[in-house]
Amino acid sequence: MLLRIENLHKIYKSGTHALKGVNLQVSEGEFLVVIGLSGSGKSTLLRCVNRLLEPTSGKILFFDKDITHIKGEELRSVKKQIGIVFQQFNLIKRRSVLSNVINGRLGSLGTFESILENYSDGVLADARKCLETVGIPEYSSVRADTLSGGQQQRVAIARSLMQNPKLLLADEPVASLDPATSNSIMQYFDRINKEMGTTVICSLHFLSLVRRYATRVIALKAGELVYEGLPVDIDEAWFKKIYGEEAEEVEIK
Amino acid sequence: MKDIPPLEKLPHEIMEEIRERERKVNFVKAIFLDIFFVFYSILVIQRAIYYKFILDLRDIPFSWTEIGWIFATSAIIGSLWAYSRTSLSCKLFGVSKDGNVTKWTVEIFAWLLFDITFIAGWIVTKISIVSLFSADGIHGAERLFGALFTPQFGIFDDALFAMIETIYIALLATLISIPITLFISFFTARNLMRDNKFTFAIYYILRIILNFVRSIEPLIWAIIFSVWVGIGPFAGMIALLVHTIASNAKLYSEAIEGIEEGPVEAISATGANKVQIVWHAVVPQIVLPFLSFTIYRWDINVRMATIIGLVGGGGIGTMLMQYQGLARWREVGLIVIMIAFVVYIMDYISAKIREAIY
Repeated sequence: MLLRIENLHKIYKSGTHALKGVNLQVSEGEFLVVIGLSGSGKSTLLRCVNRLLEPTSGKILFFDKDITHIKGEELRSVKKQIGIVFQQFNLIKRRSVLSNVINGRLGSLGTFESILENYSDGVLADARKCLETVGIPEYSSVRADTLSGGQQQRVAIARSLMQNPKLLLADEPVASLDPATSNSIMQYFDRINKEMGTTVICSLHFLSLVRRYATRVIALKAGELVYEGLPVDIDEAWFKKIYGEEAEEVEIK
Repeated sequence: MKDIPPLEKLPHEIMEEIRERERKVNFVKAIFLDIFFVFYSILVIQRAIYYKFILDLRDIPFSWTEIGWIFATSAIIGSLWAYSRTSLSCKLFGVSKDGNVTKWTVEIFAWLLFDITFIAGWIVTKISIVSLFSADGIHGAERLFGALFTPQFGIFDDALFAMIETIYIALLATLISIPITLFISFFTARNLMRDNKFTFAIYYILRIILNFVRSIEPLIWAIIFSVWVGIGPFAGMIALLVHTIASNAKLYSEAIEGIEEGPVEAISATGANKVQIVWHAVVPQIVLPFLSFTIYRWDINVRMATIIGLVGGGGIGTMLMQYQGLARWREVGLIVIMIAFVVYIMDYISAKIREAIY
């Protein structure tokens, strides 16, 4: 089992109880989509998995290894194996696309080497290959903040690919993009999942995208897991249960 | 790896505990603040308003016993007030009872604090409209202004060299400060140091030292260093350097604290270590603000260098002091005009550079 989450709780210092006993198993090769309203705990869940956040209680097992409270070197070695893509891309704006992509490899590079930016040919070649995978090799030397949103997100995907991740997390990766670009970004995740066999956990809002790409769906509501199943099984009733009675499905083709 | 005990408390209990602790801490803070407010009001009313203004005493009686009594009284009143949960500080810290009593006491006391502070300030600064418009005074000012605006150009060459010396003092103080400040600023940025107790202690100690150094004006530092290394430009330069480091370290570290967290999160998610996170996620975001602060500081330092010269820090200030001592106002006039000119130019240049790099 790639990932096993047992009775996970996260309480922020502010007192917000973001996750209330989530149980979840993810096996290798899955494309798992997390849906739910804003503030339902999707981001918190993803950030607990790659341990950007420390859970308050419960257990997270990554390849059967307990990573719930690990620290230091041990934590970094786990983080190295888990890539993440954010809604706001989180690139280093003033640096070139290529150095942003290389940043994905930092965990495996020596401190000194990475500060001098004296990268080996192998690393540079890998970075170019990752850029080719996301289809923007020609932008390698331009500044990251000159790119459009969709292109920036592709750079972010390339950066996470540099980690050769076993698990790729995506926190609402298309929420700030237009529908057409959203779909093309999702296709990259799909290809990474199908061709490279990388497990993907992705939070999304558009059900059309969910139905097209997910192999399994979970839904969070106020920090609790309320649905787990196949994307085709989300009908009107479930939708209303997850998003509230007022909600109506908006379809964007 | 040590075993993590299973959940020993229910989550809502943990949350309740967090809230309870926060309430307690805030209440203790409120007590201290209330005691301070009451202590302050009694002191101000007694000393500034009663003794100085109403009784118009020349020597105000002072004894530690009296202060002690006042403090004891205010400690009692303050804590009783805080315990009643209707006090100003309780309101500020959000632990007050809501009701009309709180509303009224808070409003009345806030006004009282403001009023007595303003009145005391008025008394202490000895504001006097009469001396501002006295004929004698205005006449003296006219004479001085007249001399200043008819400058004596005989000393122009000397003044020019002294001015250049001043600019160099400022420039060197700024340049040398850069690497030192850069190094320190990472250790005084809260967001980089808060993660563990040891680094947080370093952060705290450094902040205290820097606050202390910064609170001593460059003028005082110049006096200290003119004794230490002898009167002259070197003393002035070190004085500026010390103060520049202390003030810029604060600005730099505030820039670090204000960076976007997203890129930091992204880089740390790749498994990068602390040094790599700082270098690849923090540094690229702060280069420009740092540059801008430093250039602005050079501009400030030129202005300060003229002042520092007054106490023997070299440059144009020293020269100004000499001619002022001789009451040769027309020469002083020339120097003042030159300083104003250079400061204006520096201001303009530094603003242009800062505009250009953003």
